[in-house]
Amino acid sequence: MKKYFSILTMQIINSLAYPGDFLGRSVSIATFLFIFAGLWRTTFAISNTDEINGLTFSNIIWYLMMAETLELGRPRLNRTISEQVKNGEVAYILNKPYNFLGYHFFVGLGDGVVRMSVNLIVGSLVAWILAGAPPALAGWGMALITLIGAWILHFCMMALIGLAAFVVEETQSFELIYQKLVFILGGFMLPLEMFPDWLQRIAYALPFPYMMYAPARLFVKPDATLLWQMLGGQIVWVVVFIALLSFVYKRSEKVLTINGG
Amino acid sequence: MRHVKLLLALWQANLQASMEFRAAFITQVVFMMINNGVYFIFWFLYFDKFKEVRGWNINDMLLLFGIAATSWGIASFFFGNFITLAEVIVQGRLDYYLSLPRPVLLHVLASKSIGSGMGDLIYGVGSFALSGYFTPDGFLRYLIGSFAGVCIFIGFLVIVQSLSFWLGNAVALSQFALSALLTFSLYPSALFDATTKFVLLTLLPAALIGTVPAEFVRDFSWQSLVELISGALIFLSLSVFIFKLGLRRYESGSAIQVEV
Repeated sequence: MKKYFSILTMQIINSLAYPGDFLGRSVSIATFLFIFAGLWRTTFAISNTDEINGLTFSNIIWYLMMAETLELGRPRLNRTISEQVKNGEVAYILNKPYNFLGYHFFVGLGDGVVRMSVNLIVGSLVAWILAGAPPALAGWGMALITLIGAWILHFCMMALIGLAAFVVEETQSFELIYQKLVFILGGFMLPLEMFPDWLQRIAYALPFPYMMYAPARLFVKPDATLLWQMLGGQIVWVVVFIALLSFVYKRSEKVLTINGG
Repeated sequence: MRHVKLLLALWQANLQASMEFRAAFITQVVFMMINNGVYFIFWFLYFDKFKEVRGWNINDMLLLFGIAATSWGIASFFFGNFITLAEVIVQGRLDYYLSLPRPVLLHVLASKSIGSGMGDLIYGVGSFALSGYFTPDGFLRYLIGSFAGVCIFIGFLVIVQSLSFWLGNAVALSQFALSALLTFSLYPSALFDATTKFVLLTLLPAALIGTVPAEFVRDFSWQSLVELISGALIFLSLSVFIFKLGLRRYESGSAIQVEV
């Protein structure tokens, strides 16, 4: 475990070396929140109400802040894995004394921790200006708990897409589709309670809400029953994805051909 | 005429290069269409609940998306380097173009084609066709709006990326400008206050790519037409002027580059 901790620390130090990159991302989160504040301010004004499906304007802006923090903070590990598979660099990592997927998990975590922290600080400042004070402390706690499961699920998905490079040349298209599924069925752009009932049922039967909606919704409206429901869903999907990832990884190792050079 | 011949030759070469990896090209096109379609589900869900926002309904959003996607698709498929010009400048890759007797900016821009742009283009046409504004005069206005959008996309990004001549590495700035322009162009300006609307018509001309052409297709007005044409001409000429000005400051390490 010590070696993985070293990988994590090394990656955090690496990420801190590029402050310009942070600034770019921070501006993105500000743009996104600014646009959506305009959309929802107008929507609330037109609807002449303070609450839509139990959420206030402030709830929605803070919900979107948390969702955007997650989305922009998650490194696109699939691109690195896919590139390593295609250019053969995978061979140099496989003969190191650590697990290939474990290595990428901690590299991603190191990158993500820094990115998400910066996004959270800038996003909170912007959301505070646009929508007032942040949610209660309980919300921060519940968001943090569900963030762990959301992160693992996201990693599994990215790794599966990256490993697809063993079979298909172009994997970035899968990433785009996955991202958009999280945008819609994960509740990134619209909280799930605003969906029609039939679509809510479909969304809950899929892994996407547990990757995005869970932390964002619990952040603005902490609720013990919902927390257990979300944790239960995350555990089930984590088991399914880890099993799938192990299977795919073993198959990939078998088809890997390394030429000397 | 020479410029047209150059463009046709470059587009032919780009298309042949794409066809070399036909399956990858088709995958990119199809997946980009799916990607845009899935993204648009947000607006179906939103308008299913709220019906209309400041005079904009689902048909108007289909129209706005149609125009923005068409403009982006044309720009990225036929002038793909308009997204990566800053990298070309920073890496000293202009040497290759400077050594040839052809207009440098036009040559650089059209030397690259982004395959997924064709997916955006097809999606844009489809989205317009579904918007309910598909009439002969509506189609003509859609074409004018889309071509103005192409000029503004390219003109604005060339201006921002040409700053690399003065600032050194402006890649991060260009990526931010691109992301902000694209994001704002996909939302109606009616959502924002007067100051933001002014910014979206001038400093960050996203309204000239989305809202203004969509309003022009919905309802012809001379004001929209003048805004579109003057916006397109101003951004294009300004981009050529600034690029040429910057080119005088261009330096390279005489690195050996291979342009494929």
